[in-house]
Amino acid sequence: MIAVSLLKIAIQALWANKLRTGLTLLGVIIGVTSVMTIISALEGMMGAVEAQLDRLGPSTFIATTMGGVITSDDQWHEMLKRKPIDIDYADDIEDGCELCEKVCPRSFNSASVKYGGEKLRDVFVMGSTYNLVDIVDFEVDHGRFHSREDDIYRRQVVFIGETVRETLFSGVDALGKSIRLDGKKYTVVGVAKKMGSMFGQDRDKYVVIPLSASLKQFGKPRRNSNFVIKARSVEELDEAMDQARIVLRSLRHVPYNKPDDFVLLTADAVLDQLNAVARIFRMGLVGISSISLVVGGIVVMDIMMVSVSERTREIGIRKSVGARQKHILLQFLFEALLTTLTGGLIGIVLGYIAAESLVSMIDMEIEPSMFGMIAGLSISTGIGVIFGIYPAMKAARLDPIKALSYE
Amino acid sequence: MTLIETQNLWKTYTMGAEKVHALSGVTLKIEKGEYVAIMGPSGSGKSTLMNLIGCLDTATQGEYILNGRAVSKMNDDELANIRNREIGFVFQTFNLLARATALHNVELPLIYNGSGSQDRVAKAQQALSRVELADRMLHKPSELSGGQRQRVAVARALVNDPSILLADEPTGNLDSKTSVEIMKLFDELHRQGNTIIVVTHERDIANHAHRVISILDGKIATDVIVPREQRNGVN
Repeated sequence: MIAVSLLKIAIQALWANKLRTGLTLLGVIIGVTSVMTIISALEGMMGAVEAQLDRLGPSTFIATTMGGVITSDDQWHEMLKRKPIDIDYADDIEDGCELCEKVCPRSFNSASVKYGGEKLRDVFVMGSTYNLVDIVDFEVDHGRFHSREDDIYRRQVVFIGETVRETLFSGVDALGKSIRLDGKKYTVVGVAKKMGSMFGQDRDKYVVIPLSASLKQFGKPRRNSNFVIKARSVEELDEAMDQARIVLRSLRHVPYNKPDDFVLLTADAVLDQLNAVARIFRMGLVGISSISLVVGGIVVMDIMMVSVSERTREIGIRKSVGARQKHILLQFLFEALLTTLTGGLIGIVLGYIAAESLVSMIDMEIEPSMFGMIAGLSISTGIGVIFGIYPAMKAARLDPIKALSYE
Repeated sequence: MTLIETQNLWKTYTMGAEKVHALSGVTLKIEKGEYVAIMGPSGSGKSTLMNLIGCLDTATQGEYILNGRAVSKMNDDELANIRNREIGFVFQTFNLLARATALHNVELPLIYNGSGSQDRVAKAQQALSRVELADRMLHKPSELSGGQRQRVAVARALVNDPSILLADEPTGNLDSKTSVEIMKLFDELHRQGNTIIVVTHERDIANHAHRVISILDGKIATDVIVPREQRNGVN
């Protein structure tokens, strides 16, 4: 009951000093906004990358020559010199890795795509076996992915990304039409759902054709190839990777005392590495932006100190009519908390807006993060308590006689 | 019934290396329903005595029993509680909250004893009516005359039904006509059964009381009953 009255008194005092309250708010808002921008942007980016990696299921891994965290030039050069992944090993892996349920070899090329008068250059061309769609979450908008028969009979069929469809077939149904991939004719059998762009890269400018057709047109890939492998279950993932590793080491003639000349990547491993990098970023950026938060806190404390000394007489009056120390303490603490919480709420919203426009520059979208909001609210409450408690205690401990005679 | 009883009260301030005795052994007794003036020149210790009686401060040495409770050993919060329930202050400078209405100023003591807001408003309105300010309740101090402000302060002092009304130079900032008005109010409150202690250096004001205690150099110099014919006012 008394707390409610004290809260009202605090609100009235803040309202009575609008300019001062506004300036204090501004300090808090700037601090919270800067921290929230960083937190929201990082959270959002990690979320987007995570969602992207989720397309690779939890029991899936990729065998490739380059990847993981590269820490030195030497390592980079060593990777460049590695033999390409030979897509003919698919059968050997299937035979030698009994825990591998599906093995999908892929080759990557680039081509120009033509339909009628429309042309699109530098389209990413993925050749894969039909089972890719069972392993990676390829969302089909309409039509279908190529089939086992397409693979076997080396049919010239193509599954196209949204950008390709939009450029070549605006206003026309793409299914059944023939397009030319570097001059060769392919029939469109399916259109993928739009993925949007990320980090400035258009992720819809691609086509997928049967691996057999790709080999016929582009030849055996010299560099850009890999395997997507699905283990029988998440639990057996590690073991399946070990089996695949043994097969690959022997096929690639890696001496027993030398490290792998290929890498096996899982979504989790990639995510862990990304997280490690993001953590350093977060610490650095949040650390730097926290300075403005501390400045905001100092503003709160400053204004509170002024407010306390300006209202010494009021405090004396309140004490003379029976206010206890805790009543005065709460009154001033409420003022600090109301200011920082209001500033915090505004800062969370502004931070989110700022983060949104920041990540939109790299073609990403973010969603409001629960973690960000909780962090923002606890940060602003923390500032209120930390920087408000000293002035409030000073007020609470004033000697009533001295306070009453204060000029 | 004894309301105030002090035994050999000392108040000593340390100023640098020097010790200053503001009060040097004050022993007095005030009964319920008395109308007492405490007189003395400035620096005599009368304000210190008022602060001790009003529980704004504790004595360096000695005993103070207020309404049967030993105040001298109380901590800050217990003193605040006593000030809230037992004492109504009226100050020379009114000491009203400038931004608050008369009503809110009078409500103040009730906030700190946890009264509900309806109860607070009802009691504050009643107290303001007692000082004939029922039509000025929503005015701020700046919109009131000096006399009206002091009456708001009196209403605030009365709102919690305290044992003592403690007035420190209550007419010090008022013109003589308004002073008369305020002293009339005190006389009337005394007639209604309130115990009143007025600290003053003016003989005229002191003569409204029934008993005058003079303080000099931190000690009681005289303590006399004012004969009825010498009293000012209606009592």
